[in-house]
Amino acid sequence: MNTIHSRREMLTTMSSGIGWLAFSSLAQQAVVKGGLAAKEPHFAPRAKRVIFLTMRGGPSHVDLFDYKPELIARNGKTASLGRDSSGAKLFGPVHPFAQFGKSGQWMTTLYPKLAKHADDLCIINSMHTDLPNHAQAFGQMHTGSFQFVRPSIGAWTLYGLGTENENLPGFITLNPPADNGGAQNYGSAFLPAICQGTKLGGSQLPELYSALLKKDVAPGPPMKNIVSASPRELQRAQIDLIRGLNERKLERDGFNPEIEGAIQSFELAFRMQSEVPDVLDLRSEPEHILKLYGIGQGKDQFARQCLLARRMAEAGVRFIEIASPGNWDHHNRLRELLATNCAATDQPIAALLTDLKARGMLKDTLVVWAGEFGRTPYAQSEDGRDHNHKGYSIWMAGGGVKGGLTYGATDETGYKATLNPMHIHDWHATMLHLLGLDHTKLTYNYGGRNFRLTNVSGEVAKGIIA
Amino acid sequence: MKADPLIACSLLLSVHVQAQDFAFFESKIRPVLAKHCYECHSVESGKSKGSLMLDTKQALRAGGDTGPAVVPGDAAKSLLLSAIKHTDPDLEMPPKKPQLSKAVIADIETWIKSGAPDPRESAARAAERPPVDVESGRKFWSYQKPEQITGGIDAFIETKLKENGLQPSPEAEPVVLLRRLYFDLIGLPPTPKEVKAFSMEKLEATVDELLKSPRFGERWGRHWLDVARFAESNGRESNLTFPHAWRYRDYVIDAVNADVPFDRFITEQIAGDLLPAKDDAERARLLIATGFLALGAKGLNEMSKAQFVADLADEQLDTVTRAVMASSVACARCHDHKTEPFSMEDYYALAGIFKSTQTFYGTWIDSENSNGSHLIRLPDLPGQLIPNKPLTPERVKQLNEQRAQLDAEEIAQTEYALKAKLEGRDISGEYYKMLSTAIRILWTRGGVDGALETVDEKGRALPLCMRVQDGKTQDSKLYGRGEIAHPTKAVPRGFPCVIEVGGKLPKEQSGRLELAQWLTSREHPLTARVMANRVWRHLFGAGIVRTVDNFGFSGERPSHPELIDHLAIKFMDSGWSVKALIREIVMSKTYRQASTHRADVFNQDPDNRLLWRANKRRLDAEVIRDSMLAVAGVLDTSRRPGSLVSELDGQSVSLIGFNTKLPPDLDGSKRRSIYLPVLRDNLPDVLEQFDVANPNLVTGDRDVTNVPLQALYLMNGPFVQEQATALAQRVIKEKPTQPERIRRAFALCFNRAPDAKEQQLAESFFHTAAGDETKLTTAYCHALLSSAEFRFTD
Repeated sequence: MNTIHSRREMLTTMSSGIGWLAFSSLAQQAVVKGGLAAKEPHFAPRAKRVIFLTMRGGPSHVDLFDYKPELIARNGKTASLGRDSSGAKLFGPVHPFAQFGKSGQWMTTLYPKLAKHADDLCIINSMHTDLPNHAQAFGQMHTGSFQFVRPSIGAWTLYGLGTENENLPGFITLNPPADNGGAQNYGSAFLPAICQGTKLGGSQLPELYSALLKKDVAPGPPMKNIVSASPRELQRAQIDLIRGLNERKLERDGFNPEIEGAIQSFELAFRMQSEVPDVLDLRSEPEHILKLYGIGQGKDQFARQCLLARRMAEAGVRFIEIASPGNWDHHNRLRELLATNCAATDQPIAALLTDLKARGMLKDTLVVWAGEFGRTPYAQSEDGRDHNHKGYSIWMAGGGVKGGLTYGATDETGYKATLNPMHIHDWHATMLHLLGLDHTKLTYNYGGRNFRLTNVSGEVAKGIIA
Repeated sequence: MKADPLIACSLLLSVHVQAQDFAFFESKIRPVLAKHCYECHSVESGKSKGSLMLDTKQALRAGGDTGPAVVPGDAAKSLLLSAIKHTDPDLEMPPKKPQLSKAVIADIETWIKSGAPDPRESAARAAERPPVDVESGRKFWSYQKPEQITGGIDAFIETKLKENGLQPSPEAEPVVLLRRLYFDLIGLPPTPKEVKAFSMEKLEATVDELLKSPRFGERWGRHWLDVARFAESNGRESNLTFPHAWRYRDYVIDAVNADVPFDRFITEQIAGDLLPAKDDAERARLLIATGFLALGAKGLNEMSKAQFVADLADEQLDTVTRAVMASSVACARCHDHKTEPFSMEDYYALAGIFKSTQTFYGTWIDSENSNGSHLIRLPDLPGQLIPNKPLTPERVKQLNEQRAQLDAEEIAQTEYALKAKLEGRDISGEYYKMLSTAIRILWTRGGVDGALETVDEKGRALPLCMRVQDGKTQDSKLYGRGEIAHPTKAVPRGFPCVIEVGGKLPKEQSGRLELAQWLTSREHPLTARVMANRVWRHLFGAGIVRTVDNFGFSGERPSHPELIDHLAIKFMDSGWSVKALIREIVMSKTYRQASTHRADVFNQDPDNRLLWRANKRRLDAEVIRDSMLAVAGVLDTSRRPGSLVSELDGQSVSLIGFNTKLPPDLDGSKRRSIYLPVLRDNLPDVLEQFDVANPNLVTGDRDVTNVPLQALYLMNGPFVQEQATALAQRVIKEKPTQPERIRRAFALCFNRAPDAKEQQLAESFFHTAAGDETKLTTAYCHALLSSAEFRFTD
C-alpha cells in the first residue's frame, strides 16, 4: 500500500466506503467533505490568518491606550459614574502616556518596544461588551455569546475558510486558561468537531523544562505521542481500518457529529506526525531571532509562544491564540502589576510584529491584542480599578487594518464608548470581513435555525480597513 | 454539545397570549419604558434604583422596594401607574423631569387593565439581572423549597413531550442498555459472558448487583472527587505534593460504596472532627473526611500570613458552597454579588466559620513555601496502611542532631545580635550574611521537621492525614473591597440570608457542624436538588439544570422544574440514599430509551432537552482507560495501597519530570484510573487528553472535546500500545483461528459480533497489511481500542 496519500487519493478511497454517502449528505457538506481543505472566502480577503493575543483579566484601557487629558486633570475628583453613582473618585493613569510614531498615536510609556510599531497599530478605543463579569465577557469575546455555548471565533474562521495546511490543526490555542469557561472558549459547539481549537501547552511543550533549567533542552520530541508507534505503512492500514469501523458506526447511528469528528481527528493526527515536530522545535531558529523575542532571557514562555505563533502562521495554521502570561485584573496594585504585565509582553509582541513584517507576512496576518473588557476610570481601593464593559480598548495590526489609526472614542473620562462604538459583534463582523467572510452569510444550520457568530447584529467597521 | 435555552424555552413555553396584545405593548408601552425608565431600571444600564427593574416581565411584576410595579388587571395596585400619575408625592417618576403626557399615561393604564401582556419573557433576559436583593432572591425558583407534586420521572418527561407533540423513543436493545448501565454504574463494560446471561427480566437484579459492586464506589466516588476538586498536590505557584491525600480518596470510595446518607456524607466532610465516634477506626475515618477542606490549591508562597489565612478560608468557602449548593457566594468577597442575592455580609458571616478553623495540609517550609503546615497523626489501628517511608533510627538521630544544630545556630545568631545591641556595636555590615543564615536555617529546618513529623522516635512511619480542626472562634471582619488592609465592622458568623433556614452558632466552636446541619436541613432549598441534578447529569449526560454547578440567576433554569423537585424530595425521603436515587432513575423508561436518531424530532429539539431519546455519550477518561485494561484482561481490581504520590521523595512536583523512575505519562499501573496520581497541572496523559476535571475547580460537568491530540494518544501512547498487545495475546490464546480472533476481540470490545461489512474490513486489514500474525493481531486490537465505538455509549 502506498504510504503517502494525496488528499485526492484519500477522498477517492474514502468515498468508496458505503458509509461515506450517508455521512456526507447528513453533515454540513463543505467542511466534512473536504475535511478542512482551504475554501474560497466570500470576497477577496485582506487577512489569511489570525494571531489572537488574549490579555485575560481586563487590561486598563485608560492606562494603556485611551489617553484622557480630562481624566488626568480631574484626578481625585468625584464623578457620577457606574454603580457608585454617588461619588466615584476619578483616577488618572498611573504611568505617563506619550505620542509615538509618525501618526502620533497616544500610548502608555510602559510599552516602549511595541510603541515603535505605533504606525502599524490600529487602536480601537470604543469597544464595549455586555457584562462586566470575567467568565461571561471572556466567553462573549470568544464566541459572541455570554450565555450560551457557541462556537469560538477560531472555529467559525476555520469553518469558513478551511486551513492552508491540512497536516496541522487549523486552530491552535496555546496554554489557554482553564477557568472562564475553559474549553468552551476554543470549542466548536454545534460546528463540526474538526473546527475545535487544539490546545497545546502545559507539560507538552518543552518550555516548562527549559524554564526550570534556564536553558533550551527540549528532551525528545517537543510533543507527547507525536512519534508514530508503528511503521508508517502499518499505521496507515490501521487508520484505514479505524476509519472503516467509524464510518460503519456513523452509518448505523444515522447522524452523529461526534463520530464524524473522530474520523477527521484520526486523519489529521496521522498527518500531524510528519509536520508538528518541526513546527514546534524552536532549535532551528537562528540566534538573532531568539534574541529578538527574548528567548533564553529569564521567564520566556510567552516569548516562546509568540515565536511558535509565527512558526505556526508560516506553516499555514489559520487561527492561533496565545494567552498572556499574567492576568490583567488589577483591582489593586495597579501601578506595579501593570508595569509587570507590560514588561512581560512588550518585547515578545513587538518581536512578533517585527518578525512578521520582515517576512512579508504582516500584510495578511491579522494580529489582535484584546482582553474581555477594560477598567473604570475611577479608583477602586487606593491603587486599582474595577471592571468596565462600557468602554475599553483593543488593538489590531496587519491583515488589512489601517495602521497608525486611533478609531472611536470614549467619553471625556474613558468610561463609555461614545464615538463609533464597537460592540463585540461589530468587532467580530469586522474580523470576519478582513478574512473575506460576510458575517451575515457565514451561518450554520443547527436544529432548524441558522446560527452565526454575530447572532442578529454586527456592523463591519469600514473605517478601520486600509 | 450543549445548547440554547432560548430554543428550549420557546419550545417549552405554551403561548396563549394573542399576538395583537403584544403589538400594543410593542408600539405603545415598550418605547415609553425604554425611553423614560430603563436608564435607572434595567440590565443594560446596570442600575436598579429602588431594587426595581423594568426590562423583563418578571422583574416588572416582582417590583422593587415598595412593591410590584405592575399588577396585571389592577391599575390601582400598580405602582408604575401611580408613579407616573404623580399621585404619591414620594414616588414621582420619571424623577426631576416633566410628567409624561396624558396619552402615554392612558396607554399604560389601558395596558395594565388588559392584563399587562408582556412578551419580554425569556431565560436570557432573566439571567442577565443585576444585583438582586434578598426579597426578590427568595422568589427565585432555586431559593424556594422544592414543591411536592404527584408524579414520577416518566410522567413528568412524557407530559412535556406530549405538550410538544412528541413521543418518547422505544426501549433500547437489551445489550445496549446493559452496556449503558455498566458504564454508568461501575465504569466498565460487561464481559461477553455477562451479556449472554442478561435478559430484560433480570434488569432489576442486575442494577442491584452493580450498585452493590465495589466498582460502583470507584466510579461514583470519582464523580464526587471532581466536585471536591481532589488533588494530591497544591498546584499554583508552589506545586508541592500532598502525600497523604489518598486517604481522603479512599474515604470517598468507601463512603459511596456504603451509601452513607448524603446529608451525613456532607456533614462528615465539613465537620467530621466535631462528630462523636464510637471507636478509633471511626474517629480516623471522620478526621480523614475533613481532608475535603484541606485539599485546595493555596498560595503557599504568599508572604503575608493574614492574606494567606483569608485566601485559605475563601477557597474553603467557595468549594463548600459550589459543591453543595451550586452557588457562587464567594463572589461576594469584594463586592455584593453582581448577579445573585448574596451580600458581603453573607460572605463574611460564612468566612468567620472557616477563619475559626485550622487547616492541616502538611507541606513544610522551603524555598517555594512560606506557609508551612503540620500533618495530624491518626489513631493507630490494626492492619493500618502506612505507605509513607520509614526512616532508619540512624537517620532519625542524624535529623535530630541537625535540628539541634540549626537551633543552636539560630540562638547563637540571636545572642550575637542582642549582645551587639547592648554594647552599642554597629553590625549592619553583617546584615546580609546574617539574613542568609537565617533563611538557610528556616528552609533547612522546614525539611528536617517535615521528615521527622512522618516518623516516630524509632523511625517507624506514622499514619498521617490532612484535616481541619477548630481554632480560636472568631467573627471575621468585613474587608472593604475584599482587601485585608481595609477591615471594617466584624460580621457575626452565620449563613446567607436569602436561604430561610435557621441555625444558631455556638460561641465555643467554629460553627462548621452547624453549617453542615444548615446545609443538610430538609428546609434547605438547594442541597438535595443540587445533588439530584448531579446524579441526573451523570446518567443522562446533561442535568435538568444544565449548569450543574450554578443554580443561581446566571445559571440555567431547569428543563423540568417539577421533576427536579420530585427527585429532591424523594432523595430526602429515602434518607438521602444516592443508590436509591440512582436506582429509581435507571429503572425509569426515560433512562431505558434507545438513543436512535430521529430526524424529525431532532430538528424540533436538537439538544434533547425534552429527553425524547437517550443521549449518545463519550465515555469519561477513566472509563476509557479502565475499559481498555478490562477487555485486555489485565485490569487489577485491587485497590492501590496509598498512591504513587505517597512514595515520592521530596515535595516539589516540578522535579517529577526529571524522575526517570516515573513513566512520562504517569501511568504504569493496571489498577483503576481513580488510583492514578492526581497532581495539579501534571495529570496523567490519558486523563488529561480525555477531559478529566481540572482539580483546581469544582467540576460537576466535564468538557467533552474531540481533537486530534486524542487520536495521537490513541495511536502512539505507550499505555494504549500495551493494552493492545495484551488484548492480542488474550485473543490469540483464547481462539485458534484468525476469523475467531477477529470476532472474539469484537465481542470483548463492543459486546457484539461484527457485521458482514466489519468482518470484511477486518479480514482485508489482515490481508493487506504487512507483518506476522501476532503483530497484525496487535495492530487490529489497537484499532478496535482506538475506534469511536470503544469510547462512546449509545
